[in-house]
Amino acid sequence: MILLEHGNAIIQKTLSDKFEKPSALDVQFVDFDGVRYHMWTPEKKTGILLSMNIRCWDELAKYGAWDVLGKEYGAYLKPPAAAEPGYNVSLELDLEQAPDDPEARDALVKSFSLLRRHALAAPFVKAFQTQKQLDSLPDPTDGSAIPGGELMAIHYRDQEAIYVQASHDRVTVIFSTVFQEDTDRIFGKVFLREFVDARRLPTIQTAPQVLYSDRDPPPKIRDDPALPKAEDVGYVTFVLFPRHFTNPITAEATISHIQLFRDNLHYHIKCSKVYMHTRMRAGVAEFLKVLNRSKVEVAGEPVRKTVTGRTFSSR
Amino acid sequence: MSNSLRPYLAAVRATLTAAMSLENFSSQTVERHNKPEVEASTSREVLLNPLIISRSANERVLIETSINSVRMSIKIKQADEIEQILCHKFTRFMMVRAESFVILRRKPISGYDISFLITNFHTESMLKHKLVDFIIQFMEDVDKEISEMKLSLNARARIVAESYLTAFGS
Amino acid sequence: MAQNVPIIMDNGTGYSKIGFAGNSEPSFTFPTAIATRESAAAATSSAGSRGPALPSKPGHLASKRGIEDLDFFIGDEAIANSKTYSVQYPIRHGTIDNWDLMERYWEQSIFKYMKAEPEDHYFLLTEPPLNPPENRETTAEIFFESFNIAGLYIAVQAVLALAASWASNKVTDRTLTGTVVDSGDGVTHVIPVAEGYVIGSAIKHIPIAGRDISQFVQNLLRERGETTVIPPEDQMIIARTIKEDYSYVCQDIVKEFRKYDTDPATYFKRYEGQHSVTGRKYSVDVGYERFLAPEIFFNPEIYSSDFLTPLPEVVDGVIQQSPIDVRRGLYKNIVLSGGSTMFEHFGQRLKRDLKQIVDSRILASESASGSHLKSSGMEVNVISHKRQRHAVWFGGSLLASLPEFYQSCHTKAQYEEIGPSICRRYAIFGSAT
Repeated sequence: MILLEHGNAIIQKTLSDKFEKPSALDVQFVDFDGVRYHMWTPEKKTGILLSMNIRCWDELAKYGAWDVLGKEYGAYLKPPAAAEPGYNVSLELDLEQAPDDPEARDALVKSFSLLRRHALAAPFVKAFQTQKQLDSLPDPTDGSAIPGGELMAIHYRDQEAIYVQASHDRVTVIFSTVFQEDTDRIFGKVFLREFVDARRLPTIQTAPQVLYSDRDPPPKIRDDPALPKAEDVGYVTFVLFPRHFTNPITAEATISHIQLFRDNLHYHIKCSKVYMHTRMRAGVAEFLKVLNRSKVEVAGEPVRKTVTGRTFSSR
Repeated sequence: MSNSLRPYLAAVRATLTAAMSLENFSSQTVERHNKPEVEASTSREVLLNPLIISRSANERVLIETSINSVRMSIKIKQADEIEQILCHKFTRFMMVRAESFVILRRKPISGYDISFLITNFHTESMLKHKLVDFIIQFMEDVDKEISEMKLSLNARARIVAESYLTAFGS
Repeated sequence: MAQNVPIIMDNGTGYSKIGFAGNSEPSFTFPTAIATRESAAAATSSAGSRGPALPSKPGHLASKRGIEDLDFFIGDEAIANSKTYSVQYPIRHGTIDNWDLMERYWEQSIFKYMKAEPEDHYFLLTEPPLNPPENRETTAEIFFESFNIAGLYIAVQAVLALAASWASNKVTDRTLTGTVVDSGDGVTHVIPVAEGYVIGSAIKHIPIAGRDISQFVQNLLRERGETTVIPPEDQMIIARTIKEDYSYVCQDIVKEFRKYDTDPATYFKRYEGQHSVTGRKYSVDVGYERFLAPEIFFNPEIYSSDFLTPLPEVVDGVIQQSPIDVRRGLYKNIVLSGGSTMFEHFGQRLKRDLKQIVDSRILASESASGSHLKSSGMEVNVISHKRQRHAVWFGGSLLASLPEFYQSCHTKAQYEEIGPSICRRYAIFGSAT
């Protein structure tokens, strides 16, 4: 598994199970970046309520998350006021009224499992629209800079944020990253440097441009008051060009993909450490073998045994 | 093997072999105790002059000898941050397992990355030249292992970056 | 950092149960199996050799060399991919056998299935009784160094099974003293626990468990000639289904036989099956095996010729070997855990048989004293509850949702201060006494 999957495995599994055999249910679980879910059957066995709490919901709602979710889930989405207390969004599904066709069911399960993805998609969708508007504006004739769209900040973790801004020919996405540990920081740097360099390869010329800066925030976001002050913050900038989002299908893929950037990065840092452990274990075993070669075999007396096979020697 | 490595290792090997002439020696300060004098350093007359063999500014070996014990500390070459962290990880990983590496010290001497303590009991129960072989092999392999780990980390990062970015193009 | 719900992982020899604290069922239950590219033979030989081969510098994406270690599956997917990959079980007899594979197994269970950022979560892991402390240290090393988890608690499975019994409404005081009868697929353990600590010297293992019961059912079917209609490849599965769906523990075999003979219509059941390939329908009579199957715990001689001690006697022996001051508590709180204790009336039968043993001993000692001393009697109690199947996991979920859990965990900061040896000691918490 090189890249993480977009959907939530627990939602997917639980919902498919419930389609087979409805039963009472009450589970709470999480997703990346502190997203909490609560999936339960409040009244009857076939009425499933799935609620999600996401840290940056207020920001997402401001950037049109309700519209995005409404478009995706339609009647399943509970109105904002009716969301479960303690959670931001609730989806309600009645298994009895769900489609019978297995394919439609699978699609429904799939779309439910992507709840987090759809919520986070809002600012990106908005940025893509803004870019289109800006692009259609005539170029200013007096030589002044072309105005950019609103800078949208999504503080999706305590210390980290995503910034999205549209301009007339591109959409800029900036991730601020904080590493909790030294090893992670250094490994992370190696990875990020490769992200910047990788684009030189001819095969991935079409990928978005990636920039990475240590400590100094890119000028665009320097004014954000919530900017983390820590020393060890890095900033990763993705520059998305119209080819990444003019086609609606590509745009959806781009959104799903870019959201998981941080999680993928951290996943691979962890994987590298796991790999290092594997290597080190092998290395230690090898060194031990060399060291044990120097031990002298004690020939000694042969071990004497009783008839029953016991020995007298004590440890 | 680079040109300066061979004489460096040869020097370490010769010094270690010479330093390993150890004998049983009871503590002069505590009755019926037998301590590695190089660690206890309570009686100065049984300590020999410590010796540093240095290959470059950041790669050297310190060998401290006494009548019944030798302590040798290695500073492993660390060119950059990545090598530093890998070296730190690897030596710590070994030192956690010091129980099975009988001659490994659980903590390095300050200024060095890893230390070994060989007492007369070790030299009596193990073959001296094989012990020296082990340390030399360790010095050779640890460099190789760290640079291999670094290479593989870079290779991984490259592949991950490529696969992540390629997914955009599709 | 916001405190997110702790993650509970119970990695057993056969199955892993993983989920979040506060729930009553694990989110995932799948085999502790990992399917890797390397062949099994290469894996064992390379353990000592020069480590994994150095990855060649990849020039192009097509050559995905260097990350072979990411190409693997775990759990059900591992079994499904057994054709092209080699499937291995990193846990043997409850203890972790292959750390390299286990580390990768954990990696994928966290990132692919739990979808959790390990840095944000506390973890509760389980270990078998008498796990060497070195194994705990290695586990801590992996979890803190590779995954940077926020905090770790390693609990003994038997203790968690005791904690799970608090959910039963029959239990009034939350004590961590009791005897755990844990019967899974491979082996059955009887483990005495006093105030949260396992009495290691008194633990007993019984080589009869779920797999043996299925085997026994299959033997019974074969002797009766039922197997002629069952396709050979399905025999074991059908035996297992019959065991799970129809079997129960009876109170008296002789009476039960008579009941079946006088009124076969009500007691004999029919199992309807379908051939997995041809779709041909067939049906099998389910008869005496309904009560004979679990009977092998109480009369092992009907199945095995080398293990002949009935379960109640083993439990009694275990308690008698424990220190005298905890025996009363051990008799009073016998807790069942694991799938093979799920048979109906299993608890009652165990309680009755055990009570008989205890009472006859008390009677004997009373008469030996010349009837001068009267015993106040010994309370024997066997607790069965709804969560028995995943008792260990459920106990973990219960403990991890207590507020004390966070104080009892070893945090990342503590680990960095002290090192892996921190996991040698652990705090018992949650019991009312």
